[in-house]
Amino acid sequence: MNDLRFALRQLRKSPGFTFLALLTLAVGIGMNTAIFSLIQDLFLRGLPFSEPERVVRIYGESKERDLKQMPSSVPKFWHYRDGQTVFSSIAADWGNGFIMTGSGEPIQLLGGNVTANYFELLGIHPILGRNFLPEEESKGDVVMVTENFWRKRFASDPTILGHNITLNGVPTTIIGVLPNLPISWFGRDSEIFVNKPFEPSGITKDRLMRGVSFMRVTARLKPGVSVSQAQAAMPALLQSYKEQHPETADNTWSPYLVSAAEDVTGDLRPAFLTLLAAVSAVLLIACSNVANLLLVRFTGRKREIALRMALGAERRGIVRLFVFESTLVSVIAGMIGLGLALWTVSVVPKLAGQNIPLESGVKLQLPVLIFTLGLSLITGLLMGLYPAWQSSRADLVDGLKEGGRGTSGSRGQHRFRRGLVAGQVGLSVVLLAGAGMLVSSFVRLSRQEPGFRSERVWAGGIGLPPAQYPDPATRGRFAERLQTELQTAPGVEAAAIADAVPLSGNSSRSPYARADGNPVPVNQRQLGLTRSVSPGYFRTLGISLLSGRDFTEQDKVDSRLVVILSNSTAKKLFPNENPIGHQILFGTDNGNGLPAEVIGVVGDVRSQQLSKANDVEFYRPWPQRSAPFLNVVVRSATKPEATAGIVRAALNKIDNGLPILQPSTLDAIVTQSLGQERLTMTLLGVFAGIALLLAVVGIYGAVAYTVEQRTGEIGVRMALGAQTHDVLNLVVRQGMNPVILGLIFGLAGTFAVGRLLAAQLYQISPYDPLLLGATAIVLAVAALLACLIPARRATLVDPIQALRSE
Amino acid sequence: MGTNVFDSTNQQSEISNSIMNNGSDPLIRLNSVTKVFLTDEVETHALSGIHLDIRPGEYVSIAGPSGCGKTTLLSILGLLDTPSDGSYSLKGHEVANLSFADRARIRNREIGFIFQSFNLIGDLSVFENVELPLTYRGMAASERKSFVTGALERVGMAHRAKHLPSQLSGGQQQRVAVARALAGRPAILLADEPTGNLDSRNGEAVMQLLKELHQNGATICMVTHDERFAQHADRTVHLFDGRVVEDRIAA
Ligand SMILES: Nc1ncnc2c1ncn2[C@@H]1O[C@H](COP(=O)(O)OP(=O)(O)OP(=O)(O)O)[C@@H](O)[C@H]1O
Ligand SMILES: [Mg+2]
Repeated sequence: MNDLRFALRQLRKSPGFTFLALLTLAVGIGMNTAIFSLIQDLFLRGLPFSEPERVVRIYGESKERDLKQMPSSVPKFWHYRDGQTVFSSIAADWGNGFIMTGSGEPIQLLGGNVTANYFELLGIHPILGRNFLPEEESKGDVVMVTENFWRKRFASDPTILGHNITLNGVPTTIIGVLPNLPISWFGRDSEIFVNKPFEPSGITKDRLMRGVSFMRVTARLKPGVSVSQAQAAMPALLQSYKEQHPETADNTWSPYLVSAAEDVTGDLRPAFLTLLAAVSAVLLIACSNVANLLLVRFTGRKREIALRMALGAERRGIVRLFVFESTLVSVIAGMIGLGLALWTVSVVPKLAGQNIPLESGVKLQLPVLIFTLGLSLITGLLMGLYPAWQSSRADLVDGLKEGGRGTSGSRGQHRFRRGLVAGQVGLSVVLLAGAGMLVSSFVRLSRQEPGFRSERVWAGGIGLPPAQYPDPATRGRFAERLQTELQTAPGVEAAAIADAVPLSGNSSRSPYARADGNPVPVNQRQLGLTRSVSPGYFRTLGISLLSGRDFTEQDKVDSRLVVILSNSTAKKLFPNENPIGHQILFGTDNGNGLPAEVIGVVGDVRSQQLSKANDVEFYRPWPQRSAPFLNVVVRSATKPEATAGIVRAALNKIDNGLPILQPSTLDAIVTQSLGQERLTMTLLGVFAGIALLLAVVGIYGAVAYTVEQRTGEIGVRMALGAQTHDVLNLVVRQGMNPVILGLIFGLAGTFAVGRLLAAQLYQISPYDPLLLGATAIVLAVAALLACLIPARRATLVDPIQALRSE
Repeated sequence: MGTNVFDSTNQQSEISNSIMNNGSDPLIRLNSVTKVFLTDEVETHALSGIHLDIRPGEYVSIAGPSGCGKTTLLSILGLLDTPSDGSYSLKGHEVANLSFADRARIRNREIGFIFQSFNLIGDLSVFENVELPLTYRGMAASERKSFVTGALERVGMAHRAKHLPSQLSGGQQQRVAVARALAGRPAILLADEPTGNLDSRNGEAVMQLLKELHQNGATICMVTHDERFAQHADRTVHLFDGRVVEDRIAA
């Protein structure tokens, strides 16, 4: 207690030191806490399921056809469910949209269709009512809603159970209220869950049984069964599926298991590892800055030390006293850092957009608190120990020996200080280079020509309730009427319908093969990205028609099947031929797919990721391949934001019971598609900026301290005729020495971590000489400035004063 | 030559003039130099109306009680400080209007300093310490080496060239400081109590060195308290309270 009071008094006595040390460490600890808190949320906490480590997802893959994460078909799921022995239960679900009518404006709701055992498998229990019953799986018109839905739309009415709501035109009974669900697993805004998982609308029974794959399969491992044990049981299951269902297209994809946690955030891991490494570096820099300050501070208290020793203090006690002081600083800084972290964490979800499944709302979690406390203590110990040890050395002989003019402190201390500066610079180079790479990669990505023009294009979704739009003919008529209405609306340059918008994350793929020659069996065919679009889609999005023709109103449901190819597709499938007029087989109908005639070739579009060109993309006429959900794209003469009203008005003329879902602009969708890259880049950029700032402060501090120590020497030199530039030279050279060393270490380090970053980079090598050079120059210039300020002060030393103050 | 005692500045300036008229041009001429320090609203008159001519080859010792302005006078002579009032001409040139860089250059080329507390740079070897003023002159390395070696030999420290100052005794350090002051062959050697930190034997050795330098033609201004050492000089200027109270030229 006595020590605490003494340490506090010491800190209060030098507010400058205390402020700088607290600020530096608070930033360092705060950033680490923030990243740890995100990591805790995304990776460590685990899903709020019962025994989440036993929950796995089952996907299919085909390495030779570059297929990954393939969902399951209905017959495959049934086969797995009935034949497996390693899971205590197995369930399936797929995302769906619902239009709720009956209470004023129709409302579009998100959710899914699930097998009856789905929530039970996960261990999610309704807070009100009950889970689905097995006998309801394919019969009952029943629905479970989330707590959010209950609160928002039913004002938490306790009598909600048994209520009927109309979903997609069907009266449905609410049987249970689910607790709010983790968005990492269920997606954002999921509110409605129904069963009937085996009857997706818009897919014929025939196609369903030929292996259309759309179900996510989730399973719970039997107690004591490991993921790899379960995995080992899968090939036999696939083999029997293949034997019993030779007609299915999906019977050649090998099944594989992924733990629930891996499935949800596995792809985010590299980015967060990078960020973790970055904040650790920031903390190290902060620590070394403060260690440097402490060294100066403790060394300056030689008299106090001598006195304490004279009074019988042991060296251990003095070290303890100093370490106590440094730990006190770091713990106070940790508390400030915690506040900083809470703020940062509240900002990140906004930065990340839809791409990172972070729950909004900041909660302070115990593990984060423990992390911060632990980090603070370690930090305090780490940075206090050496300075305390050094300055408690009773070097009486050294101290009394007249060493002439010059530097003070032992050679060891000098080396330590220079080492700290070199280390800081090295770490900053790595961070700065990393941030530079991500920034320039991001700039390249945002400049990447996507193959379509997004400006002034509005996009929104419309769900077509199967009750009113049961078949391709009704859906085709709807699309045609809507398009006609839109095209004649004032301010509209072009309008079209598509099943999915580029870069929105939605897409579908069909098995395909050239019809001529000997097409391989359906289950060995490649899957090709396929988009259903109305006439005018290419014009609306500014995609150029390279040859042939666009779709027209004449390409109806029952007319000749046609297809338009992307340029790459044409080159890949018809390398030395004119593709127009050739036939391509699509889908699984008849067990061999249906032939469609190539009528045109359009420019390539990066519809999946801006960073990746699609090797294959097909366009089919909307009426010939429609779905119960469509997207409207409208190019307007002016701002696209006003388009929503135009679309609403047009829609009302046809069916005023249809809400517009997720109205947005194509620009926003493109921007959104880079959300994760933007987050990583922004955070790393901020960290690198902080690192640079801290390093500059560190260099400045070290040089300023040296100058202060060497005032006398500088005075002598000036008396001997040193010119201003001689003094500048002396100080800057000494200051830049460890900086140069650090630059070399840093560049070497950047080479070493380049591999970690390479996968996150677009069109830029982690060894890009220009970028590395620029990084080195930025740092060198910043360091030079940091040296110049104290160097400038050194030139103002008055030699008489310096010589006088012996 | 006889002994002149002046108690009035007017008389002194007359005599100074007559010296100049009679003999060679003075190397240093201070005319009515005053130095006032302003600290905490208090004015300290460190020097008041100093007239002083020093001819080439003179060996002047400056004496006087503590605080009478000896160091201040030497600082002004060495262009480390500027007078508050009055004029100072060196080799016939007025120094008042010199730029900072010019002053540094003159300090470097024309003036050699020996400080009471040696003021060697601890991180540099003996050789490097002596070499320092020559480096600022932009002298070529080979030339520097011969100058430095020559100077070190002169003070008998050549064998310690590679040592650090902390490895030398006080007397040895001061000899190195003398070597540093004379290495650049300055026109004027300024020494502020060069023996102040030395025992009498070491002090005598340094005095012997200065005497030899003087005999070889150096102009020397030396502050000393010690009567015995003052006798080495051929002229003694006594300061009291910032004024010259006695200017005695030895026979
Ligand atoms: N920078 C300064 N600021 C204020 N006063 C000063 C300064 N330098 C010198 N003085 C004052 O000027 C007077 C003369 O100082 P100076 O150092 O020249 O004395 P000194 O004759 O060399 O004394 P000593 O024999 O003790 O070295 C003293 O009163 C001193 O306090
Ligand atoms: Mg003095």
